[in-house]
Amino acid sequence: MSAVPSVKQSADGQSAKVNRRDTVIQLRSKLMSGRHVSFLSFLVMFAIWVVATTPLLGAPMVSPVFLPSPQSVVMTFLKLAQEGYQGKSLLYHYGASMFRFFSSFIGCVLLGVPIGLMMGMFRIVRAALDPPIEFTRPIPKLALLPLFVVWFGIGEFSKIFMISFTLFPIISISAMEAVKSVSLRKIQAAKSLGASDATIFWRILLPGSLPGIFTGLRVSVGLGVSMLVGAEMVATSSGVAFMALSASDFLQTNIVLVGVTILAVTGYLLDLLVRVIEKVVVHWSGRE
Amino acid sequence: MSLVAFDLSGPSRLENMELVVDGASKVFGAGESAVTALTPISLAIGAGEFLSIVGPSGCGKSTLLNLIAGFETPSSGEIRLDGKTVTRPGAERGVVFQQGSLFPWMTVLDNVSFGPISRGVPKAEAREKAMQFIDLVHLSAFASRYPYELSGGMQQRVGIARALANEPRMLLMDEPFASLDQQTREILQFEIKRIWQRTKTTIFWITHSIDEALFLSTHVAVMSARPGRIKKAFASEFFASDDPMVGSTQAFTEAKREVTMVLHEESMKSSKQEEQR
Repeated sequence: MSAVPSVKQSADGQSAKVNRRDTVIQLRSKLMSGRHVSFLSFLVMFAIWVVATTPLLGAPMVSPVFLPSPQSVVMTFLKLAQEGYQGKSLLYHYGASMFRFFSSFIGCVLLGVPIGLMMGMFRIVRAALDPPIEFTRPIPKLALLPLFVVWFGIGEFSKIFMISFTLFPIISISAMEAVKSVSLRKIQAAKSLGASDATIFWRILLPGSLPGIFTGLRVSVGLGVSMLVGAEMVATSSGVAFMALSASDFLQTNIVLVGVTILAVTGYLLDLLVRVIEKVVVHWSGRE
Repeated sequence: MSLVAFDLSGPSRLENMELVVDGASKVFGAGESAVTALTPISLAIGAGEFLSIVGPSGCGKSTLLNLIAGFETPSSGEIRLDGKTVTRPGAERGVVFQQGSLFPWMTVLDNVSFGPISRGVPKAEAREKAMQFIDLVHLSAFASRYPYELSGGMQQRVGIARALANEPRMLLMDEPFASLDQQTREILQFEIKRIWQRTKTTIFWITHSIDEALFLSTHVAVMSARPGRIKKAFASEFFASDDPMVGSTQAFTEAKREVTMVLHEESMKSSKQEEQR
């Protein structure tokens, strides 16, 4: 009789221990979920910035010329928003940059997606277009900007052309790979159901390519925004990247940081937008 | 109830039957790297018949189906449907694949009405027809769902309904239940039998399972190891049984033994071939 309760007790003790361990694991996994870690890493970076630039004991650790404090960046942003930069409003500069980005992005989608799809579907088109695209892909596009300025002048076109030179291969090649990846079985199924070539394109190949096309769009949104820096390096007096670049000539580091932050936030939001659209349009992707 | 040897390619059959495979062979590649998938095969399937093909893996069963479907062209010989040579896929030969052939961007209803709409049937009518066949496979409640929201068994039902919605002369089915669990498989076997009896569609069925072949079909053909040919064919009567436990009767067991013996020999050859490669 006496042995029974003691066994029970030890069993209970064990289960309590297991329970406690479970709770700890749960708690840890709750605290350490991906989003929390990302937020934490952002917070640490921001804290280092604040500590490095705040005059705690005498002068700040890092001189404001090298790295202005967050407060001064915010103040600079507000000042720029009110007074503009070099005689033009901040919104004007932003609009100029966005005009360049969107002209290039939309143009590349309208041209690159159909051309990429054709390359994926017809060997002849692929044979004709693959070499020039593959050949120009590794060329540093910045190196070509002076050449484009000579060819197309100092207007908007040379800048839009340079951004497009980066985006077009990405968008067209991702569309090509996407259409090639549509499974033969689905195409066979459609054929045996009596579908014409046109039906197979519009109802099978095109929707089947959308996930791959979206991947290309996301990559090119990020790259397109960062290419603004190159595009606005010469022969312009407008744009957010121009603002940052020319401010750096005068060691106005706070203006540089405002420009960089605006571009970074824009890139992030555009990527988010594409992701949201992607989730709605290709809701079935990866769930077969 | 019995199983008897049967000649699928007798001269009268080759002349009169609905679908005729007349000396069709398939060689992939050319020169030294050429691989003969099928030696010339002849067989005939009559309207309303249910022919099951069993054979060791890699014997060319699927190649034969691809030839009949028109996805591939034979290297010699020809395939005739109602006397007309088959040259390309067509709506009168509905195909049901093992898996992954549904269009994931379309709802069940859009998948099933795809055939009729592709053939130019007005949309409303096509949808009505599609609903009939969705009903036939008991999926009415899921018509507006997407394939990824359904289980594997339900997806196969959609595949069957989609092929049937075109009201094809015959159904070509390539191991349609191979990726399903045993229970789902058995349920769908009963369903396909019911659908076959109701629609009187001719069925060409590829399977690994001798049980399935005997339970469902009017004719069973065993294919040889590669290069594939018809090793032996049987006429089977078990399909007509009303007994759901027909699989455990003595006659069935004996029939299964007979088919298994023929198949086993070929499977051994086939695995030896693989070892040599």
